[in-house]
Amino acid sequence: MNYMPGTASLIEDIDKKHLVLLRDGRTLIGILRSIDQFANLVLHQTVERIHVGKKFGDIPRGIFVVRGENVVLLGEVDLDKECDQILQRVSIEEILEEQRTEQQAKQESERLKLQAVKERGLSIPKADTLDDF
Amino acid sequence: MFRFQSLDDDCTLEEEEGLVEEEDEIDQFNDDTFGAGAIDDDWQEEHTRLAELDERVRDVLPGAGDSDTSHGGSNAHSSVLPPPSSSSRLYPDIDERGGGDLAESLTRLILGSDPAIAGVGSTSSDRSHLPPMLSAHPPHPSALAGPSSLLRSYQQHQQFLHRGPAPLSQINSHSIWENSMGFSPVSVNSGLIGQKEDKTLLSIIKEVGLPNRPPSLSRDEGRDLSERVPPPRSSSPVIGSPPVRAVPIGTPPKQPMSQILNQQNNHPSAIHVRASVPMRFPPPFPERLSPNNLLSIAKSPLSHSPFPAGVNPVLSQIQRAQLLNSQVGQFQRGPAPPLLQGGVGGFRPFFGQSGPRIGPHGPPLGHAPIRHNTTHLHPQHRRMLSQRMQNRGDHVGGRGVGERKNRDPYSNLMTQREKEWVAKIQMMQLQSTDPYLDDYYYQNYYEKMEKRQERDRDNRKEHTTKLITPQVAKLEHTYRPVQFAGSLGKLTVSSVNNPRKMIDAVVTSRSDDEEKREKQVWNKRRQILYTVEKMYSLLLEVQDFEKKFLQTPEHQRDVLLEQHKTHTLQLYNSLREKEWDDRVSDEQCLMIMSVRKGKRLISRLLPFLPQPQAAAVVMGIARNLPALAKKDKQDQVLCWLVEPVSVVIQSMSSTSLTDLLQELQGSEGQLPLVLQNKFGVTLLYLILSEGERMQSSDPNCQLMDDNRWTELVFSVTRELLKVPSSALSSPLFTPPNLVSLFSRYVDRQRLELLQEKLQITALSR
Repeated sequence: MNYMPGTASLIEDIDKKHLVLLRDGRTLIGILRSIDQFANLVLHQTVERIHVGKKFGDIPRGIFVVRGENVVLLGEVDLDKECDQILQRVSIEEILEEQRTEQQAKQESERLKLQAVKERGLSIPKADTLDDF
Repeated sequence: MFRFQSLDDDCTLEEEEGLVEEEDEIDQFNDDTFGAGAIDDDWQEEHTRLAELDERVRDVLPGAGDSDTSHGGSNAHSSVLPPPSSSSRLYPDIDERGGGDLAESLTRLILGSDPAIAGVGSTSSDRSHLPPMLSAHPPHPSALAGPSSLLRSYQQHQQFLHRGPAPLSQINSHSIWENSMGFSPVSVNSGLIGQKEDKTLLSIIKEVGLPNRPPSLSRDEGRDLSERVPPPRSSSPVIGSPPVRAVPIGTPPKQPMSQILNQQNNHPSAIHVRASVPMRFPPPFPERLSPNNLLSIAKSPLSHSPFPAGVNPVLSQIQRAQLLNSQVGQFQRGPAPPLLQGGVGGFRPFFGQSGPRIGPHGPPLGHAPIRHNTTHLHPQHRRMLSQRMQNRGDHVGGRGVGERKNRDPYSNLMTQREKEWVAKIQMMQLQSTDPYLDDYYYQNYYEKMEKRQERDRDNRKEHTTKLITPQVAKLEHTYRPVQFAGSLGKLTVSSVNNPRKMIDAVVTSRSDDEEKREKQVWNKRRQILYTVEKMYSLLLEVQDFEKKFLQTPEHQRDVLLEQHKTHTLQLYNSLREKEWDDRVSDEQCLMIMSVRKGKRLISRLLPFLPQPQAAAVVMGIARNLPALAKKDKQDQVLCWLVEPVSVVIQSMSSTSLTDLLQELQGSEGQLPLVLQNKFGVTLLYLILSEGERMQSSDPNCQLMDDNRWTELVFSVTRELLKVPSSALSSPLFTPPNLVSLFSRYVDRQRLELLQEKLQITALSR
């Protein structure tokens, strides 16, 4: 039953597995159990999935209560399609390690860029907001 | 320790009795401030009685210790209390009197109302515990502790007997609150306790207030944490505030509306709160509806949810926690990857379980679909929705009923009611007083779709349904500060709905005279823009007239028509001269047209004006064309006017046409300037072509009656020939009959020259 005809609502998504992307960049996968009018979510058997390149790793987290304003988007996970994934699943340590190296590489390149820019006498303002990643 | 004797004598009960008839808010004040509770009888008497009670209990206590264990296990909710048999003498009447009515109310309401109450023992056994429970705890010296312990035990007793409204006959007639609607909990308490003897207990309860239920209760009941009531607020009175609710606003309703009263009765801590339940049952959509109200409305005609009110999951909360812990625990314990894999792998089955169970998980579609308030939707939309629902139903049914067996033990954590509640909140936002204003695109889209469908299947007799949107009346909630007679100033009670008013700002509107004076002072351009804006709002009204016309019922159409006429008149009036009725004010027109927005306005305005007035406007334009052309150099937007102007010209009479041409030529040297401007040339051509059309089509036309037309055309041709090609701008389009026009008036040679110059051939557009 479409509770909210003509509009988007999360009511039909309840008790289904969802992938939620948060504003800080985290990806959570869990079964959506409850919602409210602010789109605060209750996720059950949540797993935080870290993606680095073609690999990913899952960290089981349990129950998540997410404040609605921090959600960028969410979508239902097709359980059939989930089985045949192109991405390679690795252990958690590995993925965290990968993430760390990726972060370092990014920081390094940023630093170099900034240096180069400074040498040329320009200045780029740093983006401080959390949303910028 | 707070002692009764310390209360001053001037917070007299007589004073409070006098205030009985006044508003309940005042009572509350007194409650908070004085804390004596509005009781009729002398507190001193009560105190002595209680003190006696205390002593009696103290005597009995040693003998009651061994009966602890025997009573401890009998009830899941009871905390261990010594049931001194001697104190059962204190309240013998409860047992007897309470028996009959209580039994009825119990059986009526016991589990149906509150699934939170798990397994209450037999009612008779409860009642036998009643008197002991009511008696005091281990003794405390102070008098207040006595009542508070009484309260505690009373409150525990409340747990067994969560009951609905007691029979009215049992309401303590001496209770000061018996008349007020809000204090239903009080009535319950009084009903439960019994009759006049228990005024003491009652009064004590009223005075001190009951704290929350002990947390042990909530731990055992899965998800009914929403039942938990916040502690009684010592809030400022409800003047101007939203009614203080027993359950905070954000909580979804646990039970159907009809039992909200019961709910409130179940929470005796609401006693201090003026729980004004919004129990009004509004007629369909008269005003803004709260989610609860919407729910109540929606529920009444609906088939109710197939699931009972509180579908408890299969596992209890503790068991669930254990499950999860085991999963997580594995992860934490294992540093080595294989263990982790196992832990992570352990999660998989859960996901896998819920895998095959795809499809909507609302109420099984076998039941009648719940129809929500879809009246505000377009009927077309509603049809689509029902179709979609059907499809989904077929789709799911095809997958097999076996899948439906909930392999997911955690499903339906969110009850149907809660879902509806959220949906209702969201739907509430769709209510609007003016659907065309609030939801323009939705309305238009569905109208178009309807038309399309009508076109596609026009042979079928599908009657076009009109969109009937519920017009929610806009209510003005102006805050009027509370004033007491004879008091100085206003009460400053600020709450969420009426924040403190710091400045008493008064709006002063200026008269017309003042406006004229200030016109010179103001920035001219700003003034122009202001005028244009005002005219625009009128114009929009006029433009929307047609739509509104179709919507309003028959008898109101005349009024609307009148309105429309006045608007149009107003529009024109703002353009014209003050004294002359048929001339457009040059100054005003110029002013408006000097702004780009103004030109746009005029172009939109022209179609709506009646013919003579429109002609006047066009004349005005023609008259002032050089000036306008100069101002338009930057914008080049005069060409917007071509279309409406051409329409006007085509409807003009010959005399007015001649006049127009004259105006266009105006003073000496105007025509060359006109010719330099694109719009000017276009206008000229339009006029000429119209004249030609008139001449050629209608032999009796009056164009030739006086020589004006001919002379004018002659001068035009002269000018056209004289002007160098470079100074002549190309028009937007060239009417084809110009050739024939010129051929009437000029000789062949000149005609050829003209043709060359203007690049008009017989075949040109």
